[in-house]
Amino acid sequence: MDEATRQRFSRQIALPQVGAEGQERLSSARVAVVGLGALGSNCALLLARAGLGLLTLIDRDTVEFHNLPRQTLFTEADAARHLPKAEVAARRLAEVDGRLVLQPRIADLEADNIAPLLTEAEVVVDATDNFETRYLLNDWAVARKVPWVYGGVFATEGLCLAVVPGRTPCLRCLFPTPPTSTDLPSCETAGVWTPTVGLVAALQVSAVLRLLLEQEEPAGLAVVDGWKGRIDRFEVFGPDPGCPACGARHFEYLEEPAPARAVRPCTDGSIRVRPFRTDREGIPSRIDLMELGRRLEGMVDDLVVHPSVVRFDADGCRMTIFPDGRAVVRGTEDPTRARTLYDRYVGS
Amino acid sequence: MIRYEVRLFASLREQAGVETLDIELPEGATVAQLLERLSALRPDLAGGLRRVAVAAGQRIIPRDAPLPPGEEVALLPPVSGG
Repeated sequence: MDEATRQRFSRQIALPQVGAEGQERLSSARVAVVGLGALGSNCALLLARAGLGLLTLIDRDTVEFHNLPRQTLFTEADAARHLPKAEVAARRLAEVDGRLVLQPRIADLEADNIAPLLTEAEVVVDATDNFETRYLLNDWAVARKVPWVYGGVFATEGLCLAVVPGRTPCLRCLFPTPPTSTDLPSCETAGVWTPTVGLVAALQVSAVLRLLLEQEEPAGLAVVDGWKGRIDRFEVFGPDPGCPACGARHFEYLEEPAPARAVRPCTDGSIRVRPFRTDREGIPSRIDLMELGRRLEGMVDDLVVHPSVVRFDADGCRMTIFPDGRAVVRGTEDPTRARTLYDRYVGS
Repeated sequence: MIRYEVRLFASLREQAGVETLDIELPEGATVAQLLERLSALRPDLAGGLRRVAVAAGQRIIPRDAPLPPGEEVALLPPVSGG
């Protein structure tokens, strides 16, 4: 470790739990953060300052004004320009540590791209906003034996759980049945208490760093109440031999969707459309988003055009399009309608 | 019969409108039986109750486990916001 690095991280190195050896270990560590919303921003901010080697930042969305109270990576200028979160995050965090390799990925985590997106990660941080993606992440992590840290926030409360495949219960051991969109009040309706976000993110980052430093991870589910200022820990039993993921090793969320599942409703209230357009090797063909943006000019409302993402409002729905032709449609629960809108505006 | 104080968390508490529910169960009743009973008392919570992790004292326990008497029961729904 060079002297400049030793000086910079001196306060972290001084901790007996870290030391020069620990700091050295962190300097080559590779972490992925999935989601750059409330939890993701806060986690990424802290992780970027720990002296890591590589940080992959994955989020499909653009910055909105209503993100600003919780999503500590972004500014009013970013929201005014509807910039993609992953790119803003990478630019901003590069200012914190010039040696940290940052990999922004404007993408939706799906069964057919999770492997390339996460392939380098030693630990993955869950900062997503829906259980379907968490189960996908859990399947991948258990199959590949990669530790990951679950985090969730609801109103003033939050949860955090470190999953070390083979050693601890996985997410499905704890929550075998996914919530459906009907029995989940959303962040929009229930609200989010910003300090709770900070609490959960800090617990997640602490878990990540402890895993990287190979310190004993206290087993258990952390339950926080940011309004009352309370943190409870619950011991978890398991791994559960009856668990579909880590017990039976049936990774249903990793299975390639059949063409019939090309339009899929998600538990966060959106519908994902996947194009049939692939070449002979099965690779989805790319679409020129700048060209699409030009075509849509005047046809749709609130159009945002960027080489990595196009977003607009049309026929009462908000549509987000990616270069591989994938789309996220919000504002309808009808997959057929979503497909129709896709065909109308993106084409076939 | 043993009286249990059941503490609700997150979205389940929001749906229930209360922080705790009191319930009486025969000695040796299991987690599954507790949830069944609660669903009968509060059918509006049945969906959420199907999905909770249940803790007694400070331990998450399986559905088929008997409830240890005298311990506070906590119902923890999956939290999906982020």
